Amino acid sequence: MSDAIIEVNQLTKKFKSKEALRKVDLKINKGEIFGLIGQNGAGKSTLLKLIGGLMFPSSGEIHLFDHAMNANHPYFERMGLLIENAGLFPQYSAYKNLDFVAISYGMKDRKKHINELLKLVGLESSNRTKVNNFSMGMKQRLGIAVALLGSPDVLILDEPINGLDPQGISEVRKLILDLNKSGMTIIISSHILEELSKVATKYAILHHGEIVEISSKEELMLKCEERIEVEVDNAGLAVPILENDLHIMNYKVMDDQMIFVYDSRKESHQINTVLVERGISVHSITKHKQSLEQYFLNRTGSEGDIND
Amino acid sequence: MINLFKMDLHRFLTNKMMYILLMIYSAFQIFGIFMGKKYEQPVEGETLMSAMNESQFIQTILSQTPSWVMMYITVFSVYFYMSEYNSGFYKNYISMNNARIHSVLSKILTLGLFTLFMLIVMIISDLIGRAIFFHNTTIGDLGFFVKLIIGQFLLHWAFSIVILCLTMMIKSMIASIVIGIVLVLNVFGMVAGALESLIGNSNFSSYLLVNTIIRIKDFNDMNETIHVASVAIIFMVLFSLLAIRYKLKEDLR
Ligand SMILES: Nc1ncnc2c1ncn2[C@@H]1O[C@H](COP(=O)(O)OP(=O)(O)OP(=O)(O)O)[C@@H](O)[C@H]1O
Ligand SMILES: [Mg+2]
Repeated sequence: MSDAIIEVNQLTKKFKSKEALRKVDLKINKGEIFGLIGQNGAGKSTLLKLIGGLMFPSSGEIHLFDHAMNANHPYFERMGLLIENAGLFPQYSAYKNLDFVAISYGMKDRKKHINELLKLVGLESSNRTKVNNFSMGMKQRLGIAVALLGSPDVLILDEPINGLDPQGISEVRKLILDLNKSGMTIIISSHILEELSKVATKYAILHHGEIVEISSKEELMLKCEERIEVEVDNAGLAVPILENDLHIMNYKVMDDQMIFVYDSRKESHQINTVLVERGISVHSITKHKQSLEQYFLNRTGSEGDIND
Repeated sequence: MINLFKMDLHRFLTNKMMYILLMIYSAFQIFGIFMGKKYEQPVEGETLMSAMNESQFIQTILSQTPSWVMMYITVFSVYFYMSEYNSGFYKNYISMNNARIHSVLSKILTLGLFTLFMLIVMIISDLIGRAIFFHNTTIGDLGFFVKLIIGQFLLHWAFSIVILCLTMMIKSMIASIVIGIVLVLNVFGMVAGALESLIGNSNFSSYLLVNTIIRIKDFNDMNETIHVASVAIIFMVLFSLLAIRYKLKEDLR
């Protein structure tokens, strides 16, 4: 037994001659919010469709809840999907669309359930509106409601904030965090790391069909935080000077020689001057600043491709 | 299975397209009878339209190519499948246990229902039209009539399954309807018939579905009845299996 609820080994998906995914390995644990990030065409949707049982792998394995999946396995049923566009009948109302799905699940108490969900995603006032007349963001929300209808164990959201306004984005973010608190495992894809970083607890960077990196939230934050890295002979001697002379309280001693300073009001040359005045030999002092986006672009080696 | 069918049934019954098709068909059918009366001319050795009983009348209607009944069934089959496929709605239930098989079976049942509605509307429109314009509502031998209707129902249902299967593979509304029209025009049947007459002595083409539908049949003849039933059942089973097999392996968007 492992505590991975989803495990993917050497997963490859070919379309004709094109490889959309190449030997992808990953594990997703129960309760995680797993962020999948990649550019357009990286293979995010393909990976999610494979995990959701919409497509079949060319090679490799998918394990769900510790069971190897062959095609059409019942465990796929425990995934709630919103992949690419929400699958909705445009000529029917929001309520009717949810009702169709509820009927297909053989759900009792459909009306109550549906109204609760509509409320949850903030669509209760447009429940009789035809989906045809919905805005992009409203469709997206309804898609989330549909995905939640079967009370899934795992919620798979492919770019759920596409087309949402800032308020909508923050609502969806809150919804995701709330659902996660109630124990739901969530996989969410995006091409904006910044946005993912507000919810995800673990990240995988997908690039040209391959996983380039998997890191936890802590690791990512460490790589991307803004700090001044001060390398000295003896960190123990430097700390009192930082505290008393420079009034820096927000720092971390990494080892005998390395201190990270998190104080945006201080400049590195200030710190350098004071330390040297007090007879501490400073080996190096560097400002470490990298935005999440920059980090992502570095990892995918594509700064040049994108004009932001 | 039963839940997916309930869902399809719900969509089937709340679908305007179905009622529109049935109403247009009914209107044209009655209008056709009116035209039939207007231009009726006696032909040597053939029963006058106004003198036909319902069985003879239906046989005549269904043997004219292109068959409008098949045309409407084609349009509806393509529409019912493609409207779901294009909307991506299947994504919401396809991960359920055995949903791929069940969704195909459920579509097949729904098409069976449409075929049934179509034939019922045809019979009712015929009776109305014949009552108004020919003052003749005779049905003829009831046993024959029932066999005719059941036979034609199975044949047309089989035809709708063929269309469903092709639509699933073609994945395009327009292309599927075009192929459907080619089938309704019985192009294959005619080509097969022509080839056969070259080779001589073979009756393979009489086992083709559309050929069987448009042939005037004598249901008093046991062999003919068995022929019809077996053609219908073979096509139904064959294309249902093909459709299910295809769906089980399909990569969905
Ligand atoms: N059904 C398909 N047939 C052929 N190629 C496909 C199919 N689906 C995806 N691809 C190809 O696989 C690659 C990955 O596509 P995918 O949709 O998974 O990317 P993505 O990361 O979701 O991109 P986006 O951010 O644009 O949604 C692309 O190059 C795409 O062209
Ligand atoms: Mg995508």
